[in-house]
Order: sequence, then structure tokens, then C-alpha cells
Amino acid sequence: MEVSSVQMLYTHVIDFLYSKTLIFCAVQRCRLADDLCRLSVKLTSFSRFGRSLVRISVSDTGVGSKLEEYQYLKYRNDAVLTNQWDGMISLATTSISDSEIHNLNLNLKESDSAGRLIKLPSTAKNGDKFSGTEVSVSISKSLDDLLAEVTCFLQKMILVKIPASSFLSLICFIIRIKCNYLLYRPLSYICLFNQDPYLSWLIVCFFFQKVVMELLVGGNDPLGSQIESRILAIEGSSAYSPVESIKCLEVGFKDYVRNRHTVFSIGETLKVGTGVANSSGSSQGNSQVVEAVVIISEMSEQFPSSCIREQDMKMEVLYFKDFVPCSIAQSAVDALTSINWKSYGLALRSIADHDGCIMLEWENLPQYFHVHIAIHCYHRQVKQLVAQNSLPDRNLARKAVKCALDDLKENNHRVLLSTRALKICDCAPDLAKTLARLILSSNDLNFQEECCSLLGLQSRRVNMDNVGNCIRDKIVSVIGLNDRNSQKHKDAPSFLFEDDYLQKEDFMDEEYQEDEEAYNSLDL
Amino acid sequence: MEGKRSNTQPLTLLRKIKGFTGSIVEDLARGRAPTIYIDRFKNYCTDTSGNCSCSSDGSTGREAISLKRECHARRIDVLLRVLLIIQQLLQESRHGSKRDIYYMHPTVFKEPSVVDRAINDICILLQCSRHNLNVVSVGNGLVMGWLRYVESGRKIDCISNPNTAYPIPVHVEEVDDIISVAQYVLVVEKESVFHRLANDQFGKRNRCIVITGRGYPDVPTRRFLRLLVDKLHLPVYCLVDCDPYGFDILTTYKFGSLQMAYDAKFLRVCEIQWLGVFIQDCDNYSIPQQCLLPLTAEDKRKVEAMLLRCYLQREVPKWRFELELLLHKGVKFEIEALSVHSLTFLSHEYLPSKIQSGGYI
Repeated sequence: MEVSSVQMLYTHVIDFLYSKTLIFCAVQRCRLADDLCRLSVKLTSFSRFGRSLVRISVSDTGVGSKLEEYQYLKYRNDAVLTNQWDGMISLATTSISDSEIHNLNLNLKESDSAGRLIKLPSTAKNGDKFSGTEVSVSISKSLDDLLAEVTCFLQKMILVKIPASSFLSLICFIIRIKCNYLLYRPLSYICLFNQDPYLSWLIVCFFFQKVVMELLVGGNDPLGSQIESRILAIEGSSAYSPVESIKCLEVGFKDYVRNRHTVFSIGETLKVGTGVANSSGSSQGNSQVVEAVVIISEMSEQFPSSCIREQDMKMEVLYFKDFVPCSIAQSAVDALTSINWKSYGLALRSIADHDGCIMLEWENLPQYFHVHIAIHCYHRQVKQLVAQNSLPDRNLARKAVKCALDDLKENNHRVLLSTRALKICDCAPDLAKTLARLILSSNDLNFQEECCSLLGLQSRRVNMDNVGNCIRDKIVSVIGLNDRNSQKHKDAPSFLFEDDYLQKEDFMDEEYQEDEEAYNSLDL
Repeated sequence: MEGKRSNTQPLTLLRKIKGFTGSIVEDLARGRAPTIYIDRFKNYCTDTSGNCSCSSDGSTGREAISLKRECHARRIDVLLRVLLIIQQLLQESRHGSKRDIYYMHPTVFKEPSVVDRAINDICILLQCSRHNLNVVSVGNGLVMGWLRYVESGRKIDCISNPNTAYPIPVHVEEVDDIISVAQYVLVVEKESVFHRLANDQFGKRNRCIVITGRGYPDVPTRRFLRLLVDKLHLPVYCLVDCDPYGFDILTTYKFGSLQMAYDAKFLRVCEIQWLGVFIQDCDNYSIPQQCLLPLTAEDKRKVEAMLLRCYLQREVPKWRFELELLLHKGVKFEIEALSVHSLTFLSHEYLPSKIQSGGYI
């Protein structure tokens, strides 16, 4: 998480964010490692002095942790925060070359750097070669709430799959957790997996190519005593191993949308577009990459409209930073607002920010349609220190989303047509009907045959409706083609340098607006 | 002139319509956006230097209409609807008026001028005149005088009573066997003046043909006048009010209208000469101040706009001078103001003296 997000961590008293920060660092350590890594999140409830606490432990087998990772963390004196967290972080870490595991406590409440860090006795590795880190914090929070948040967070996290350098294929671990604590918690995401009321299965798994992740939940007894986990299955499928990060995001996001909206019977009606934008690179040669996936889902029209709630019409924008779900950066929000949605037939009614979660609401979207957007911003070169990660470039984010929209439009005719094209399409039925009548009312039968042949119509199927419908479809198709081509020409001026192109894009949208007005003034 | 256009027979036009329709269908079938190119014509511009090419009668540009704009799509829709009606008229050898066409799809056409534009576009596309499309307007013009002709096999004998008004034939192409002993043709702007002359037995006293378009002349009136001039080779004089609208009507006879500039060479009567009434006539004929009306702001705007027309400077500088004078004096008056002396002053004094003395420009 970048510096600004760390600061945000303290401006929002949502303790869950602490664990997100910890997970972010763990993921980056895993990305730096050469091998397949494991990342575990353990939530353990316990009581101390009559208070219910939850210990959040994030452990990984990535490269060892650096103390610099924590130097930017500062404790903000806040009454609510003080009640929830004592500011202590327990850290155990070792690098592959270390002979022992370093145990440390960090007291963020302590401003003096000497008092802030408390070194504890190290643990010998006995000659074993491994690396990894475990970071823990204890907070006062309901396990139920925290588990719901963590699960939601992880569901998003599995969308982005960290590409591996080797051909590691999909590996799915199913961790069977027998946890009495969960038996009495009617958590739908758990019950979904197992109908056995006496044995809840918490599936947590996931990961994909570089990192395997698990979520463990424990009860009041000492850590781990009530967690019985074992690997049930390891499945491998070389057919399902997209190497490109954008492909991973696409596949993951499609699953996410399908799973999230099964109640709407979305089925196979997903229309997907992807886009990638790269920066030219910094002085260190570490280019920034923004990937975007746009999905349009169509609910079954049999689904009663009365069951569609108002909030269902708002869609969250999923935002990822360096392979971890994250509060959306302002630059990405700016990128979304700067897009000329009219050129995709959309009108943005509002962008609502709910604690860093951005919800888009459209003005003119048909009731059964949803637009889902996921944006992933990362650096090709992994940086372990959070402070080194810069903000995503607004123009890059904009370009990626636009590319995804264009891709979706290119591959799905009649989808995302611009407002202008939609208006032109309104004329298609009348134009088609008149053309059909011009053909069929001609007293030249040869001419009629020639036209029908051009249209690919069998002579025995020729009637006013068939010819009209055929022409209408072709007109709409041509309008779609025009729309896509005009977008391409608009978006692809021959700039010598990519940076010039990005800078000019803003002005081009303004020109588009002016064009619209100019066209209107030429109206009949 | 009638018959000057080639390939305007119904069968030829039907073939062109099929070619046009077929090209659109072919474009669509091949996944191409159909684009309709329509030549643009203008009979004047605002280049007062006179160095423009407006007198060439050629197209001055080309407009491309495609499915890339909503207004274009709607225009193509209107054009195709009108074309469909025209195809039916030509196939069935029937005629229809612009008004007939308008009322076939009033909600789509919205206003008659939209149909007008579509008909003009089709004329340009098919390289023909409006009447070739079997689209006719209701006859508006009147004629009287020393003239006899056959219209659709029916003899029209104006000579038997040269002071009786006859409607100008709508199907001018069906006029034949024109015979006349007239010495000139007099075109008057207004129907009231036409009837004044008829009432004063102007035709009995003067061997002439009198025509009125009752305001802005319609196509049949201009075509008929053009036909008479071509067949009879008579001088043509025009009498209009001394105001901006009278002058505009005069230029419509001589140079054609901007809307139908594509057909101007078949409609204009270059030979026409302006007989009056001029601004200085109010002094020459002692018209009292009470008969003079001040030019309105709109009048002045119209005069100023007309002064910019390139053909005035190039072809009729004296007319332009008269127009400048009108603007300078800031007053206007009607032909009927000459009746201040007597009801018959116009027919007995003004017109004969003007024609005899060459008081025209």
C-alpha cells in the first residue's frame, strides 16, 4: 500500500485495514520470492481482561521482511482507535540466508525509534533453509465482522493472480477446517460449501500461480488448538494457466461477477473487454502497468424487476494495487470521471465513495444490464517497501479502462454503442422499411432479385418483413462499425511520443462534445 | 429550356433510382457505410469583386451524407421516402404535388420545406428537373394577352380576349404550337396590378403578353415565361414594387432562386429588364410623401444582404445602383402608388411611356 494509503489507514478507523496492510506487504514479499509461496491469514478470537479480542496473523513464505517496511507506520491518537488496538505489532521473520528467525515487537505508540523496536530472543533454524514472515496484531473487534470483511477481501483478492515465472498451473487447496466456533455462525459464505450442520467447511484456498493462500479461523483456546486443517485435494490443470496477468484478471473477474450475481441468473451472458496501459518507465526502469477489465452482465429478463433493489443498480469498481485489493486511488477516480462515457452510450449519474469503495451509478442503463469494472495497477518490478510505490497515473488508468471498453465494443456488436450511434440506430427500422419498399415496389423483377441476392435472401423467403429486417440488421451493423472506427480514429492520432498522446486525450473528449453540438446544429 | 436536359425520360429516371437504391443495398451487404454524395449549386455568393465562379452553372462543391450522423440518417430517411413516392409516380405515370407528398408522412417530414429539400436533392442526384419526377406544384401564375397555344391537346386562345386571365399551365412540357403577335412580354409582380391592367383593357391598347407569378414566381410560371422567350424572342419587362421584396422577385425571374440553383439555367430569364418602379419615380411622377413608407430594419437588412450578391455587380450594376439608392433614400412604395394621379395612370401613362422611351434597365 502506498504512503497515502497508509495515512488513510489511520484516518479511517476500520481496523480491518490493518490486516490489509499486513497482507499487502506479505504479497509483495511473495512476489519477490523465486518459488511458490504460501500466505496464511489466521483469525483467532480470545479474551483478555474480560475483553474479546481477535488476533490477526498474516504469515508468508516469501522473502524475509525488512524493518523499513514499518518505518512509515505511525500511530494516530484517536479515542476509538485506542480502544481497539494497543499499537503493538509482533513480527517474526527470516531470510533464506539467515540462520535464525528474528522475533521483534513494534510499539507504534512509541515515537522514539529506540523504544519503538523491542528485540526478542531469536529462534534457531537448525540449519533449515527457508524464509518467511509472520506479523500479528490483536484488536478488539467482533470475529464475525472481521471474518466477513476478510472473506470479502479475499474473494476480491483471488481475482488477480500473480503470474509465476515457471509453468505452475492452477493449484487449488481446499483447507478443511473443523471449527466449532463457526457452527453457530450463520455465515452464508461458509454454509454455501457444506450443508452439514455439524461440520462446517471453510474453503479458503485459492491461489493460482505464485501464491497459495489460506484463511484459518480459530476459537478461544490457544492458537491452533481448534483448527484442524488438512489438504483435501490438490488439483492441477495445465489448461487453465493463463500466463498474462490481464488474462488472470479477466478470468478471475468473470468468476467473481458470476458468483456474486448467481441470484440474477446471469449465466453465460457476460460480455468482457480488457485493456492494458504501460507507462514508459521510470528512471529505475520500473514501468507501471494498469490493467482494466470491463464486464457487462445481462440478467435474465425473467427475473422479476420488482426484485431488483436500488443498490443492485450501483456497481462497485474493484481496484487492486500490486495484486492486492485496495481503496481506489483518487487518480483512478479522476480517470473514471474523465472518460467520455457518452461515446459508449453511457451516462454516469454518480460516483459514490463508501469508505474507499467506489460505486458507479448509471443514468440510462437498461434495468437488466450491469457494468462491472476492475482496475489493477502494479509495477513490473516488485518493491518491498510500501513507500516506494507511487500513485497510479491518471492517464494510464484512463487509457486502460478506455481500451477495455473499446475491446468490449469491438468484440460485441451493438454493445456500448455511443449515444450518437444509438440515436442513428433509431432511424434504422424506418430506413430499412423504406429501402425494402423501394426494392419490392419496383416493377423490375430482376432488380428485386439482384437486391435480395446481395442481401443473401432466398427468393422464396422474400417478403417485406424479411427484406426489411435483413436491411435493418445490416444498417445497425454498419452503424456499429462506424462507431468503432470513429472511436479508433479519435483515439489513435499518430503522436510521435506516447506521452504526448496521453496528454492530448483530455482535449479530444472536449472536441467530441463540440462535435456533438455541431452535429445538432446541422439538424434538419 | 425544355428538352435541353438529356436522359430525363421516366424509364431512364427509374433506372437511375434503381441504380441508386442498388448501390445502397450493395454497400450495406458488404458491410460498408453507404454515403450519398450530392453536388451543391449556388447562383450567387457574396464575393462582390465579381471574380467568383457562380455564373458557371457548375456545382460548387459536394456534400456527403452518411450514416455517421443522426441528422444525416434522418435526411436519408426523408430522401428515401420521397424517392419511393417518386418511383411510384413514375411507374404509374401519375403526377403528385409537393403538398401531396408532404401529407403522406407529415410526422416524419415535419414541414413542407423538408420535402422541398429532399426533392431538390433527388433532382441533383438524378440530374433532372422537378417536373421530370412527376412532381408538380399547383399552378399559381396567370397570363393574358396576344397569345395562343396548345396545352395537352387543348387550344388556349388568349388572343380572342386579351384582357382575360388564364392560369399558367402546370405541365409546361405539354405546351405546344405557341403563336403570338405580341411585341413584348410584361411581367408584373402582383396579381392586383395584373387585374388593374386587365380592367384597364391594357391588352387591347398594347400588343403584349402579361404574366404574373403572384409574388415569388413558382416553377411553372418561370418555365412558361422561359418557354415564351425562347420561342417568341420577345423583349421582357418586369414591373415590381419599389421595395426589397419586389427587387428579390425581380432577381428570381432573372437569376433563379438559390434553393433551385441546380436548375437555374433552365428556369432563369436572363433577358428580363427592369421597367420599374424605381425610387426616383416618386420624384419623376410626383408621388406624394404620404405614399412613401420608411424602410423597416428588416427591409434594410434584406437590402444590405442583397447588395452583396455577386451577380448584381457583375451583370446588372445599374440594378445594384438602384438598390443602393433605395437604401440611401430609406423609403419604399408600391406600384399602386401611381394611382394617386388616376386609376388608369399606370396602364395609360406610366407603362406605355416607359416602354416607348426605354425607361428600363
